Amino acid sequence: MLKAVNFQDLRQKLAVALDNRVRAITAGLGIDELRNVLRGDPPVEKPNPRYKVHTTSFLFHIRPRYYQKGSTILSHTFRLGFFTMFFFMVELVTGVILMIYYVPTPNAAYQSILQIMSEVPFGNLMRDLHRLGAEAMVIFTFLHMLRTYFTGSYKKERSFTWLTGVVLLGVTLFLSFFGYLLPWDQLAYWAVTIGTSMAEAAPIGGNELNLLLRGAPDIGAGGLLRAYLLHVILLPLVAILVISIHYYKVAREHGISLPARYDEISLPKEVEKEVKSRQDYLPDLFSHEIYLTVLGLFILIVVTIFFYGGAPLEHIANPQQTPLDTKAPWYFWWLQGMLKLGDKSLMGVILPSLLVVLLFAVPYIDRNPSRLFVRRPVAVAIGVMFVLTLIMLSYMGLPVYGIETPAATRIVQDMAPEEGMGPLREVPYDQLQTGIYIANETPSENLCPELDFGCPKLEEFFETYTERLNAAIESQDLPNGEAIMLIEDWQENLKKVTMRILWDDPESGERREYFRHIYIHKNHGGE
Amino acid sequence: MSRFNLEITLGAVLVAVTSIVLIVYGLNEPARMARAEEEQRAQAIEVGAGLFESNCSGCHGLKGEGIPGLCPPLNDAHFFTNRLEEVRWSGSLEDYIISTVAGGRLVSTRPDRYAGNTPLGEPAMPPWSEEYGGPLRLDQIRDIAQFIVNWESTALGEVVIEELPTPTPRPEEAEDPVARGRIVYNERGCGGCHTIEGLSAGIVGPNLSQVGAVAGTRVPDQSAEDYLRESILNPNAHVVEGFQPNIMPQNFGELISPEQLSDLVAFLLAQQ
Repeated sequence: MLKAVNFQDLRQKLAVALDNRVRAITAGLGIDELRNVLRGDPPVEKPNPRYKVHTTSFLFHIRPRYYQKGSTILSHTFRLGFFTMFFFMVELVTGVILMIYYVPTPNAAYQSILQIMSEVPFGNLMRDLHRLGAEAMVIFTFLHMLRTYFTGSYKKERSFTWLTGVVLLGVTLFLSFFGYLLPWDQLAYWAVTIGTSMAEAAPIGGNELNLLLRGAPDIGAGGLLRAYLLHVILLPLVAILVISIHYYKVAREHGISLPARYDEISLPKEVEKEVKSRQDYLPDLFSHEIYLTVLGLFILIVVTIFFYGGAPLEHIANPQQTPLDTKAPWYFWWLQGMLKLGDKSLMGVILPSLLVVLLFAVPYIDRNPSRLFVRRPVAVAIGVMFVLTLIMLSYMGLPVYGIETPAATRIVQDMAPEEGMGPLREVPYDQLQTGIYIANETPSENLCPELDFGCPKLEEFFETYTERLNAAIESQDLPNGEAIMLIEDWQENLKKVTMRILWDDPESGERREYFRHIYIHKNHGGE
Repeated sequence: MSRFNLEITLGAVLVAVTSIVLIVYGLNEPARMARAEEEQRAQAIEVGAGLFESNCSGCHGLKGEGIPGLCPPLNDAHFFTNRLEEVRWSGSLEDYIISTVAGGRLVSTRPDRYAGNTPLGEPAMPPWSEEYGGPLRLDQIRDIAQFIVNWESTALGEVVIEELPTPTPRPEEAEDPVARGRIVYNERGCGGCHTIEGLSAGIVGPNLSQVGAVAGTRVPDQSAEDYLRESILNPNAHVVEGFQPNIMPQNFGELISPEQLSDLVAFLLAQQ
């Protein structure tokens, strides 16, 4: 019976069957062709089957068939758009994983973050990646916009692409903003309270918008759920839709702009031919994308694991307790800076809206057809001014600028902040020797003779505390000031530190006092 | 090497390196998670300590020592070894604390020794959870419970906490009976039940913010000083209208020395 089987025939039939299967899966590439693609070799069949894939396959049809060689050089695009998309994908994947554990109610949200950090394998990594990825996405979106502006790539047929890009910048910022609230800690709660209160300042419908966002006069269960739904459903859907439009324009309609020096200056024939020749998607652009993805993942993961201190998490949100230092996320510092300059509705709503309108209108305002730097000095100057203004405003948005805290409060807050580590918590637990320490009375050297290695960190801390007090006495902020630090054993592995500052009130002459109790547990952690 | 080949090679190396980094990170996860859990517990205790001081210490003492005749101690061996059996509680001590703090207690389980001994009087302990009209959220109550449970090792005598030597009072304080009386007022937990503006905000007993002015007018022919003395030693002698007898501990005479009593009276007289 075996003799009846023709092996030669069987092999051929198998090869044909396999080839057909491969063609079905790759939407047109045969097995030999696929091998050549993977090896970076030129196509074997004619007409080039690699172009056919772009019409038969959905995933390939939304990708470009080729870009002009001159437009793909690294120093022209810096791959900023690609990496923005890369980080968006990172956010999608890590976000879905975080969604498994996250519960969007005020009673459970914070607890679920703690759970992600302590009970879910790789949970902390996912959270850090999500946080860092979000910040990177904001940076790359912004840089991508700057690049497009400075190379003049928003002109003519690309003006609509620019417009979708501005929408995407807004979507990215709103995604970050609403995601910021979800951990439901003090940082989140107060930053978003300030943010949404800005909506209130809108001259028309501000109150209603604020109410719509928060679900109640104050952020509570309603506000958290709304932020959550915006963050995980509405905004990502909008983002995917607009990204698709944005990318389709680039990939299928006008391509990436050529650097202006290739486009507007007459070039030698062979250079022009090289610059305008095709860089095919298969295999060159495709392999390059895979390479960039791998590179991006490598850098992101290594940075997150080895160099990132961890996504911040402060104490659970407490509507009754306004923190001393509230700070918006860094990408909104410019807005905070503007708010310090003037009226809330003018600076917080009207001017930023005007700015958005201007951004939208850039291609329609700038009618200069040239894209060369030297032929558009005004546009370039405006761009540079814009960046410098943003940096300046961001600096002014920092709490150090223009916010006065009473001297005693400031000293204690700087030495032992309500949130985060600060100098006091950085003193190792073993060095917190119990006792009463009085600035300018207790000698700050050799504080702990009974400890084997002394307590250099505590001495250093106490010295700084004394210096801060003396500086404040000298500047007449704390006339006749006294500073006391009390360290007590409170429970097993728990110490209580009392920082107390007394001074004469310059106006009434009365003795005033400010103090804070800080409890420190041995296992508090931190670096 | 062409760019294509270079990128494929480099990409393969990067995939390998990234995988190794992730595997090593994964092997370290159990240890990291255990540490994170420890840290979270430590931070809960820190927060709980602050909440205990501002909410509970008025009655239960700054260090959970309680006030004889008013509030039970939370830092003694009895609380950690016998309490659950005494009240027939089947859950953990932490759950017991959370439940008691959240819902309060209408009637004392030990009416012979602590407040809450009259069926129609003030509750032994008011409810503290927001849900039942108190000021605290559930997560805060959980933190307080973690803090209280952390007294176990000292309560059972496994760990000894050394008290700081009492700082020598400033000379002007040591000589001023009013200042000394203020210390007695704080130490004995008077503020747990009584209000003195700027010092304490208890609502179980009468407001003492103006007691220095009122005391002399309460009983004909009795001086303010005598009235206060009598009211501390024998609280049921004259009960202010609107309040119940037998709420205030009857045994302050045994708890404080005659000097402390005079200081306390001097302090109260100064509340005009």
